[in-house]
Amino acid sequence: MKKSIKRQAVCLILSAAAVLAVLYFLQRLLMPKYMSGVVEGAMVSEYYGEEKDHDVIFIGDCELYENISPMVLWEEYGINSYIRGTAQQLIWQSYYLMEETFAYETPEVVVFNVLSMKYDEPQKEAYNRMTLDGMRWSGSKVASIRASMLEEEHFAEYLFPLLRYHSRWKELTAEDLEYFWKREPVTHNGYYMRVDVLPAKDVPEGKALADYRFGENAYYYLDRMVELCEKHNVELVLVKAPSLYPAWYDQWEEQIEGYAREHGLKYYNFLELTEEIGLDFQQDTYDGGLHLNLSGAEKLASYFGKCLSEDCSLRNRRGEEELERIWEEKQRRYEEEIQRQSMGL
Amino acid sequence: MKVRKMVVLVGLCVLGLLAGCGSDGSSGASKDAASQGGPEADSGSEAGAGSMGGGYVFEADGVQIAVDGDMAPVAEALGEPSSYFEEPSCAAQGIAKLYTYPGFTVETYPDGDKDLVASVILKDDTVATPEGVDLSMTKEQVIEIYGNGGQEAAGSLTYEKGGMKLRFILDGDYIAAIEYNSAVLD
Repeated sequence: MKKSIKRQAVCLILSAAAVLAVLYFLQRLLMPKYMSGVVEGAMVSEYYGEEKDHDVIFIGDCELYENISPMVLWEEYGINSYIRGTAQQLIWQSYYLMEETFAYETPEVVVFNVLSMKYDEPQKEAYNRMTLDGMRWSGSKVASIRASMLEEEHFAEYLFPLLRYHSRWKELTAEDLEYFWKREPVTHNGYYMRVDVLPAKDVPEGKALADYRFGENAYYYLDRMVELCEKHNVELVLVKAPSLYPAWYDQWEEQIEGYAREHGLKYYNFLELTEEIGLDFQQDTYDGGLHLNLSGAEKLASYFGKCLSEDCSLRNRRGEEELERIWEEKQRRYEEEIQRQSMGL
Repeated sequence: MKVRKMVVLVGLCVLGLLAGCGSDGSSGASKDAASQGGPEADSGSEAGAGSMGGGYVFEADGVQIAVDGDMAPVAEALGEPSSYFEEPSCAAQGIAKLYTYPGFTVETYPDGDKDLVASVILKDDTVATPEGVDLSMTKEQVIEIYGNGGQEAAGSLTYEKGGMKLRFILDGDYIAAIEYNSAVLD
């Protein structure tokens, strides 16, 4: 009798394990891999494979991950940096990514791009997914999901992405099998490289807004960022990337300048420094002025690296054996990518 | 025997989970359409909604421009815009397009193979709404013409009709811009 019960229990456990394994494999198969086309969904998870010894962490949206080259920061200033960027990263997502980052490392400086202050509430599920699905599970991820969800979204679908992606079986491609276990890096320390050129032309003015004040929720998370950085003794630096569109209004500029002044933060508006940086929007953008291409991102890094080195007193770490080795490998990939894109592959 | 039944039951539940809720809008296939297999970054919507369904419609040179309507025939009828700008969404398929004509701009959003009108924005007093409001007028005059049914918020007065929004952006008592907006993109 006892033997029979024991056998039944073993069968039950094995069956449950088998079902869980099947579900796990299905989830892995069905979740988007973001290895080609829309690669932005693969960015967040790349960070976890990095050595966590960065001097500077950039946190923000496409205005960071497409506009500044960490390779140049390393080469010219010996600054070891990483961009934790995702498409339309909202400020609460930036806050929780910052919180999560501090669980892994304590950089000297965190740089935050202020464009996302214009959003006061969750926007689109697709962008939520690209930021949140790639995060490792932690209290920060849970809080970020809760802060980001639209009304029609469900926490359970983040907890068990299979619930969300189950119908993707109709769209499976060879890529889903190829990257079942392992992903290829899509960035260079978080930087998304584009070498092509599309000159800026007829960039429209911003439309009149009913209310130019940033929202309470946006300020709430900016305040929390300030507090979090103070708590970890990390310098928070605010930047506005030199993207010509979407518009950055004078009224927004005044608010950020005021906030930075009030909280003793450094703030660099690169839109006002384009000449000094040497940006030429006939050459340095790949999409008509929305984002910089490689040439522009390297110019911006070259300029901002000087600011970081001098204004934030970051030391030059060139010559550190382990870092030199790591960056040598990164440089090889960087050059290969330039070559690949230049050849139109 | 009981164990086998239980295994079969669990298996059926899994199959049900995978196959059963595909048509549910909250978690189903309708949201899984992007080529990467992830949720679509750009909103999709059915053409013909919004002002095509009885909302306010702007008219320029005898051409009606309804939000959520197809931009192709509008662009053809209006001729060459004074400027044209494309805004590719981050990490998305599809491009928002901005056509600038004298006095107004039309912004579109992608919907499958089509570009639908997301908004029409009147920027100076060389153009007016078909009901007769232009940028030289005051909030009071807007209310006289469109009635008291508008919603006032900080710096704006909005009238909703037929699934679209007609919004007057105010600068004090004066009108800074007039927007015909799709509610689909809210």
